[in-house]
Amino acid sequence: MKQSPNMRDLEFMLRSSRIVAGGFLGTDGRSLEEIIDADMVSLAHLGYTVAQVADRMQQLTVLAIPELGNSVAVGDHLTVTSQDYMGRIICPWPHPMSLAKRITDARRTGTDESICWTDLSIHMIAEHNFFEGKGSAFRIEPGKLVNLIF
Amino acid sequence: MLTVIIAVLVISSVAAALALLLVVAERYIANYGQCTIDINGQKELTVKGGQPLLGALTEEKIFIPSACGGRGTCGYCKVKAIEGAGPVLPTETPFLTAEEIDSDVRLSCQVKIRNDIRIEIPEELLAIREYECVCSDIVDLTYDTKRFRLELQDPPTMDFVPGQYVQFLCPRYKGSGEEVYRAYSVASDPQDKKMIDLIIRLVPNGICTTYCFDYLQAGDTVKVNGPYGEFRLSDSDAAMVWIAGASGMAPFVSILHQMQNEGIKRRVTFFFGGNQVRDMFGMDRMKQFEKELDNFTFVPVVAAPADDEEWSGQKGLVTQAVQREMSDLSDLGDHEGYLCGSPGMIDAAVKVLQSMGMPDQRIFFDKFE
Repeated sequence: MKQSPNMRDLEFMLRSSRIVAGGFLGTDGRSLEEIIDADMVSLAHLGYTVAQVADRMQQLTVLAIPELGNSVAVGDHLTVTSQDYMGRIICPWPHPMSLAKRITDARRTGTDESICWTDLSIHMIAEHNFFEGKGSAFRIEPGKLVNLIF
Repeated sequence: MLTVIIAVLVISSVAAALALLLVVAERYIANYGQCTIDINGQKELTVKGGQPLLGALTEEKIFIPSACGGRGTCGYCKVKAIEGAGPVLPTETPFLTAEEIDSDVRLSCQVKIRNDIRIEIPEELLAIREYECVCSDIVDLTYDTKRFRLELQDPPTMDFVPGQYVQFLCPRYKGSGEEVYRAYSVASDPQDKKMIDLIIRLVPNGICTTYCFDYLQAGDTVKVNGPYGEFRLSDSDAAMVWIAGASGMAPFVSILHQMQNEGIKRRVTFFFGGNQVRDMFGMDRMKQFEKELDNFTFVPVVAAPADDEEWSGQKGLVTQAVQREMSDLSDLGDHEGYLCGSPGMIDAAVKVLQSMGMPDQRIFFDKFE
């Protein structure tokens, strides 16, 4: 499918390392639209919306922030850690949005099963339906995420 | 069929003509020629029009703090544009307060030079210089923190005030196609003007820290500019509470050298926090400073030592340790607080110090936001 110039510019930005090392699309050969469409289909099959997922991610992040990088138990099955770094990061979409450089790790308590996300991940999921491309550092598989955080 | 072919040819011709028109327009109409930048009414630069103000100033070796390489993401590169900068752009407004907009403050990376322009910048920025350095030594401080020693080559020495930072130019490398700047506090003795130490913590997938950790090697040439920043010891004799985590130790190392060099005997309690014992570093040097400085106390704090780690020091969050250790004082109203670390730690530390009676104007930090 042909892309509009805006989509081409955006995809170029997402594939580049202008904002994060390695870019947001990783090694994913699919177009941005294909990636987003596939993830939206997955999420719909799971019975969740991006708003529900992003809200839960934000909720877990907020619970962990006061612990300053130490883990906090959330319910019986989740352990969450949030670590912030100096500086801010911007959203690659063409709108003014800068966020704290913060990485949150949610882990099924007592196991190795975990998912990491950034404040930017939450924003991109909520506002742009974007879970990043396969092979990128913060790619989130919708199924794995839903299974872990709900 | 012929009609279709003619239609395609006509459309293609029109598109080609429009493209040509755009090229010609860019070449002749959007050619802004030579423009002048008047700085503080004292200095006038002649630059090629059409480029961003920040880039033009950098080319002329006038360095405005900028962490993002001019992408309009850090909001550092503010200058007062008195004349000729055009209207404030939507890309600038998230970084400008209403007062700043009223006072003609602009992000210099977003201002395109289209005509002569008049700006005001702090006088000290005119003294900022670019330094070519050789990275002479890299030391692992922890699993995610390293100390980089940079020997200054050209110019060969740097004067800085302990607490100040430099901007490190991260060059293009395999993981990043663009040059970016990142700010790091100087962590070395200000008397040793021929080199600077930087303490850098790895940010997962961070452009500059990935370069420093995975690509930069001893012997490589790098560039920094600076020094910048207002974070420094005040002139008072007030007792001080210092709070830092991870690479936030950097400016305090430099300030401790300053206190030693200048015989400053102010009382200092330095709380240095980590999540686990593996996050702690510089302990021996701090113990040495404790011996060498009369009124300096170092309080390392580990939030939650791992099961296999031995730790006999303070436990809990660094902010909790401050509350415990300083609780014998009725309030901290006559103390000064100096903070360096992650934004979350700084926010938490500010709240604790405020709750203990320390006025806002006595709390100092560089949040690097």
